[in-house]
Amino acid sequence: MTAAAPARPAGRGGPAGGRREALAGYAFIALPMALFLILNIGSTLYAVFISLWDWNFRRGAEEFLALANYERILTDDLFWIAVRNTVFYAAVWVPLTMAIGLFLAVIVNQKIRGQTFFRAAFYFPAVASSAAITVLWIFLLQPDGLFNGIRGALGLNPLFQALGFDPNQNWFGDPGTALNSVIALNAWTTSGTFMLFYLASLQSISHDVYEAAAIDGAGPWQAFWRVTFPLLKPGHFFVATVGVIGALQLFDQALIAGSTNGDPQYALMTVVLYLYNAAFAQLDPGYAAAVGIVLFVVIFSATLIQRRLFGNTQAA
Amino acid sequence: MREPEPPTRAPEPPAEPDIGTLAADTGVAAASGSEAAVVTALPARGATGPVAEVGAVGDRTRGLRRTIAYILIVSYALLMFVPFIWTIITSIKTRPDSLNLSIIPQPVSFEGWQYTLGQLEPSIVTLFANSAILAGAVTITNLVLGSLGGYAFARLRFPGREILFLIVLATLMIPDPLRLVPLYVLFTELGLTQGIGQYVSIVLVLAISATSIFLLRQYFLTIPRDLEEAARMDGAGFFTTFLRVMLPLATPALAAVAILQFQGTWNAFLWPVILLRDQDHWTIPLALYLFRESGGFSTNWPPLMAVVVIATIPILVLYVFFQRYFVEGIAASGVKG
Repeated sequence: MTAAAPARPAGRGGPAGGRREALAGYAFIALPMALFLILNIGSTLYAVFISLWDWNFRRGAEEFLALANYERILTDDLFWIAVRNTVFYAAVWVPLTMAIGLFLAVIVNQKIRGQTFFRAAFYFPAVASSAAITVLWIFLLQPDGLFNGIRGALGLNPLFQALGFDPNQNWFGDPGTALNSVIALNAWTTSGTFMLFYLASLQSISHDVYEAAAIDGAGPWQAFWRVTFPLLKPGHFFVATVGVIGALQLFDQALIAGSTNGDPQYALMTVVLYLYNAAFAQLDPGYAAAVGIVLFVVIFSATLIQRRLFGNTQAA
Repeated sequence: MREPEPPTRAPEPPAEPDIGTLAADTGVAAASGSEAAVVTALPARGATGPVAEVGAVGDRTRGLRRTIAYILIVSYALLMFVPFIWTIITSIKTRPDSLNLSIIPQPVSFEGWQYTLGQLEPSIVTLFANSAILAGAVTITNLVLGSLGGYAFARLRFPGREILFLIVLATLMIPDPLRLVPLYVLFTELGLTQGIGQYVSIVLVLAISATSIFLLRQYFLTIPRDLEEAARMDGAGFFTTFLRVMLPLATPALAAVAILQFQGTWNAFLWPVILLRDQDHWTIPLALYLFRESGGFSTNWPPLMAVVVIATIPILVLYVFFQRYFVEGIAASGVKG
């Protein structure tokens, strides 16, 4: 790095000192900034460019297609299956995980024994590898796995039967339950993360508000719904935004549980898995790049819509 | 922790229907039932804990609510642990026994571990080393580049600083899947999809994250200016001041970045799937996926669960010792909205 330390005190405010400081600033940020500009900004622009071509991984650009890749996306049935699955996943997983996370945060925010332990326990699955956890859940949810065994032992099978599930339900193998199993799996891993976000938000609420509510005779239930819940609005916005951005990029669990086709019967085909296949199975990077741009636009719009929906709040 | 107080009132018996509906509302019903036996031991303990605060009227319902709260969070904590415990138990079972639901392996067998430690292709040592090398390298680049950038954005004045920082934050809006194709094309052109190049490409992609810069910048902003001004008066240059004065003061933020990046890279899946083509370069998560894909091994649960254990242990150890930094990292990354 450029050390070149001057032997005299750096004059504050002098024009020479200011220029030296600016030069130092540029030297400090040169390397990280170069990486951001090439690998993030540059690659995004490159993706736009590639998406306009029939592209070959070895030979590069072959034929200019203008927007034909995008038209193909919109007319491909499998793409819409992927969209449907991904949107369903986001629509169920985000609120479910938010509800669990908020619930855990409210409880853990109280003065209870073992508070630190519970926080740590609830967050732990979030720090483990997604691949390891998915393989583990495949094992738990297989037809003769632990989950089916436990519900049988507890005599819950009639209940599950009434809901239409086999005693030996193959949760990841049945097209009707595969995506819901991924929802459960990811609610399990991420509820702790959402709990931490909500905890930060809860701790920013002043105690006076609760005292005022108590004086007005509000019970704990009322206090929660009338005071806490609305005051958590910035927290809701942040968690919902982060959740939707993550949900629309569902990939690891879908690929590991459903392989490249999102088996069974495309039940686990997500937009990113679709992109992955287009690029690395069908070797059509131009088309895959277009899918990436569409995904980006959708995620960006979803974020803007949520900002509208939650008002112009700053995240906590 | 608060000092224990004598119980003000006899504990209410837990109201079963309430627990059921509450649990169902929050989606924890499915598994909480399975731990019923363990949980029944807890109401007494929960109710004898500190109560009070609200006054005589609130005490009864408060004790009851506390009991219910305990039952729920203990169930949920068990729900967090049971899968991992089951993984460990399964890893020391025989293959036929791995499909039985007995908690005690019959017999205890290390066949699975022997298979995992001796017969994997590539070997578990290779996989572990690959994961560790990549995670270590990415941690170092994020510490170096993140602290340089974070310090400059926090303290040094130069034209364009605000807009450049905004660009850094804007990169958080770019979804990784969008970058898969352009970066794969770029790395192919640069010859970085073969041999050691595969590592270079992954380290390049993960070398610096906006979160690292942001986290360190925020921390540098909290350090009083007097210290570095004193150093500058003593004739130290910008880099010396940064290295000798500021960096040591930023240890907590550096630790948070290191933990966040090591854990993230150790677990990374998306980029390794794309960029690590030779099996000698696989990481543990990638190997887990590809083992699942390959017929014979995919249902040989004891060795597969042993790999899951090995994939989880380094992160578990880090988590147990540095939990604070995990939480700080996630909390800080939550400020960015």
